[in-house]
Amino acid sequence: MSGIASERLDVASTPTTRDLARAGARDMTPMVVGIVPFGLALGAMIGASGIDPWAALASAPLILAGAAQLTTLQMLETGSNPVVIVASALLINLRILLYSASLAPWFSGVRLRLRLLLATSVIDQTHFVAVPRFERGDLGRRERVAYYAGASIWLVSAWLSSQAVAAAIGAELPEAARLDMAAPLALIGLLAKSVGTRPSALAAVCGLAVVTVGAGLPFHSATLVATVTGITVAVFAETRSRLVQEATS
Amino acid sequence: MTAWLVICAVGLGTYAMRAVTFAVVSERGLPAWAERPLAFVGPAAIGALVGGMLLTADGRAAMPTVAEAGAAVAAFVTVHRTGNIARGMLVGFPVLWGLTLLAG
Repeated sequence: MSGIASERLDVASTPTTRDLARAGARDMTPMVVGIVPFGLALGAMIGASGIDPWAALASAPLILAGAAQLTTLQMLETGSNPVVIVASALLINLRILLYSASLAPWFSGVRLRLRLLLATSVIDQTHFVAVPRFERGDLGRRERVAYYAGASIWLVSAWLSSQAVAAAIGAELPEAARLDMAAPLALIGLLAKSVGTRPSALAAVCGLAVVTVGAGLPFHSATLVATVTGITVAVFAETRSRLVQEATS
Repeated sequence: MTAWLVICAVGLGTYAMRAVTFAVVSERGLPAWAERPLAFVGPAAIGALVGGMLLTADGRAAMPTVAEAGAAVAAFVTVHRTGNIARGMLVGFPVLWGLTLLAG
């Protein structure tokens, strides 16, 4: 290819950072649809609870993690020991360490202050959307930051505003619409995309199985235990298939 | 007052997990032993979260209704074929509503 045609192609195929921020937001949209009903329900609970309403509302931006926020508020409401509340919530959030560790290498070379800002939104959805996109390997550092920022800002603003609105005026969702199924369906979609290789599929199946068996584990630790088990099994499976391949080749 | 203290402590602790990792790992890179396990964080966590949806609030396993299961299967197949999660939801919801009507 030569001349004008290839030049046009280059221009058309070089997305700007703004395009990438938009792409991040677009890819995040199914997750946003999933979290808004949850945000509304949590907000309505805050509006109706006996906890200091400002503290309860502030818990959304301060914690930025739905499951831990819900647990914290519920335990405050039932008057649990403060130390136990903090420990339980942080245990639920330990998975964020895994998400951060696998996201962080993609932001190497980004200046520290920006990294510390990007870190605020590390959570299930941002990890599940951004990491597969980054792994395609076609984005440079600035483009990854733009993509991640676009995805995060959309997610966080929808999450915070859904809670604030519901806390202020309540949330009457039409029950027949079954909007509570939005989050499960979004997760099912992520599941369908993440089982491309055998070890990955094994990781997902183990995670699923362990959580249903280990539901009774103390301190809400079932999800974490299940995730770690899934990872371990997948690594063993991958190692084994590699050894078998080496032995037969 | 207790509420503020507890919420701030949870918030600070959670942000510390995020920020310390981003500050350190971005600069030094992952230790070699951690690279392969971390590649499976996504699938394992997604599986665990899907499994968590099969549990009731008090932690017992509950069977999904026929409509829920049908919607889940429809969404899974759609996304598996198209790679598009939004499309999976667009197919899953009508299946859910339709099956709910039929069952009711």
